Amino acid sequence: MELSAADLKNDKEEALLSDEEQEKYAGESIRCVLFELNSETYGINVKKVREVLRVSDIRVVEGSHKHVLGVINVRGIIVTVVDANIYYGINSKKVDDLSRIIIVEIDSENVVGMMVDRVLEVKDIPVKLFEPVSTAKERIPKYIKELAHFKGNVILLVDIDNMFDDVNN
Amino acid sequence: MDEEILQDFLVEASELAEQLDSQLTKLANNPSDRDLLNSIFRGFHTIKGGAGFLDVKPLIEVCHRAENIFDKIRNASMEYDDNAADIIMRAFDKVSDYIGDLRDGKRHLEDADKDLLTELDELWKGSQSTEIKGSIAAEEKGLKLAVGADPDGDMTDEEFEALLNQRDTSNSEAPNIIVEKDNSLKLSTDVDPDGDMTDEEFEALLNQRDEIKENTELSVINNNEWLTETASLIDPPKKITSVIKKPKVDKKMVTEKVTKKPKSVAEATVRVDTKRLDEIMNLVGELVLVRNRLLTIKSLDSKQEELSNAVANLDHVTTDLQNSVMKTRMQPVKKVFGRFPRVVRDLSRKLGKEIDLILEGEETDLDKNLVESLADPLVHLVRNSVDHGIETPSERESAGKPSKGTITLAAEQEGDHILLSITDDGKGMDPDMLRSKAVEKGLMDEYTANQLDDKAAFELIMAAGFSTAEVISDVSGRGVGMDVVKNMITSLNGSVEIVSQLGKGTQIIIRVPLTLAILPTLMVTFDKDSYAIPLTSVQEIFDYNSDLINEIDGQMMVRLRDKSIPLLFLSSWLSPQKNLTDYNLHKVIIISVGNQKAGLVVQGVNGQEEVVIKPLGVMMKKNDGYAGATITGNGSIALILDLPGVMQRFQNN
Repeated sequence: MELSAADLKNDKEEALLSDEEQEKYAGESIRCVLFELNSETYGINVKKVREVLRVSDIRVVEGSHKHVLGVINVRGIIVTVVDANIYYGINSKKVDDLSRIIIVEIDSENVVGMMVDRVLEVKDIPVKLFEPVSTAKERIPKYIKELAHFKGNVILLVDIDNMFDDVNN
Repeated sequence: MDEEILQDFLVEASELAEQLDSQLTKLANNPSDRDLLNSIFRGFHTIKGGAGFLDVKPLIEVCHRAENIFDKIRNASMEYDDNAADIIMRAFDKVSDYIGDLRDGKRHLEDADKDLLTELDELWKGSQSTEIKGSIAAEEKGLKLAVGADPDGDMTDEEFEALLNQRDTSNSEAPNIIVEKDNSLKLSTDVDPDGDMTDEEFEALLNQRDEIKENTELSVINNNEWLTETASLIDPPKKITSVIKKPKVDKKMVTEKVTKKPKSVAEATVRVDTKRLDEIMNLVGELVLVRNRLLTIKSLDSKQEELSNAVANLDHVTTDLQNSVMKTRMQPVKKVFGRFPRVVRDLSRKLGKEIDLILEGEETDLDKNLVESLADPLVHLVRNSVDHGIETPSERESAGKPSKGTITLAAEQEGDHILLSITDDGKGMDPDMLRSKAVEKGLMDEYTANQLDDKAAFELIMAAGFSTAEVISDVSGRGVGMDVVKNMITSLNGSVEIVSQLGKGTQIIIRVPLTLAILPTLMVTFDKDSYAIPLTSVQEIFDYNSDLINEIDGQMMVRLRDKSIPLLFLSSWLSPQKNLTDYNLHKVIIISVGNQKAGLVVQGVNGQEEVVIKPLGVMMKKNDGYAGATITGNGSIALILDLPGVMQRFQNN
């Protein structure tokens, strides 16, 4: 997992790192990789994450879905990269130095890369903090499992299984 | 059912079934070969043993009867005639089916076919006349031997019992074994099949040991493991330890027995999951790419001698490693050829023809995936030769040929390709008949048909919807034949060629690459993006010249030697944002897919490159036109085009 110093130097991070509050959140927890999309914080269960890569050349494959950015070469394996922003219906941000590709394991054979605005850190989030998403919209987006209020932040837990359940199409 | 034991059994049983298949066919030509008969007997017996332990009733029932029949045949108390062969073959098919079903995950098989069982019983009884009255006494004796055996006839129990016996006897003294063995042979000839288990088990156990010795050293371990494992499940552990303690004695017995038999070459093998091989292959591919990059860097900076030496060394090692890994995926073409004696025999009997099948170059090695993919097309072609090629004996005689026809199935390596040919000395094909047929079927007009040379006329049989059989038989000629074969071969990046002479015979030549993992391609480019086109489909390349282009009914066509070929402007698909209208300096690549031709218009041609095919990632399956991707020498990704998919793509637009 590569996290540059720049990733961590941020007001939000300092709040997350406060030791006093840490004690309040004891109990069983889920270890999450936290990342940012359009200034919101998301989390993916660390078990689902294989690695985080800096953005290298992405080979465009004409004719694919609009949320597919293309393919990259990860040590000899061709991996599809999706733009998480477009996938979630958010306006996509231009790729910059902070952009990262999170390589996510869908199942034992398939992996996919998620382009995110930036990767923050790995955090243990107590299970008891997670609650179902309540939204004014009729339909809860299928890729969000639950959310947690954690140290003054809202963390959206991504449901990888549900998000990529149609990848074989 | 214990899944692990079942899997072990299936691996063993599948191998045995494969062996039996070829042995049974050999037996048809050599019905009195004792070694062969023994080995077939053992085959059925071993399958029965495993099935007994796993309690697969139908499999036991069929194997048991087949085993009884072969017991009789090998003791010369009955003949292996055509009738027997037919019934045995059917029984064997059933056995293969059962094994196949189990492998496919079925755990509850249907009851064995009553008719088949009755036929087998009758076949066995038919030779019962020699049975003597003493059989009851013999049976009792046999029962005495089987003390402690499961009354239900659970094989493995008895096998274990026999193992114990074996141990006891071998503990006391060697001569005893021989006495016992003689005894058992006498018994098994006369004894009732239900009473003679123990003797047969005993013998089979010895035989099994022989096989172990004959086979690899690894399988000794496996087999022993299996036996001990089996034993541990039914007997107190004390007995097992005694078995394990005695390996030396066992070995001695094996050698005693083996010396009487012709030696076969011992070969050490390991079974490896193909998935693991694919992984290794993939990693080696990566290594090759890294090497290529280092070679490029080395050539840029040639001053550092040490670096350049090290890279040169790496170059050699990598190449050797790549070749070795490639070889691990190779299998002899025998795997496919092995089934043909049976196919030809069955068919020729059905059609009343006499045919000799000659197999050549069985030891030629092919990529495992290819071996599997070639099986179906070859079966089809061989069936065609038997059905349409070879005439009936009377027809042949009146044509002045020997009444027995010959089909030769040959394989040989030619550079980085494998040539497979199916040659028959049958009636050959009539090009005129094919031409008129094509007109009749509406595939082309009479003028075009008459323009075709003979070779092109033969190739008509591979056009879709072209079947010349007047009467559709269940053997071949369902109208889906040759074009499917052609498509299958094309999808393997291979080609099909037909040579035929009316009255003399037909030869069909298939050319496929040695391996599916590496593909010779033509690299083409659009700006910085490169794409790979399978080289086997590429026919010629020339500069785009607008003088040669006509627009016919909205379709751009290029004139080439008095023919118009449709043009596919790949840029409209692969770089849509550019919206090109001027194609000057572009190139036209003429490709042929099936019997269609097209000209691909590309921006640049970068030359030939052998690439390692890698699957595209997820979410790309519905994206037509790509066969995969590869990593080029400079580390970037090139997409491999799937030409049938590309044609489809352009037809739909």
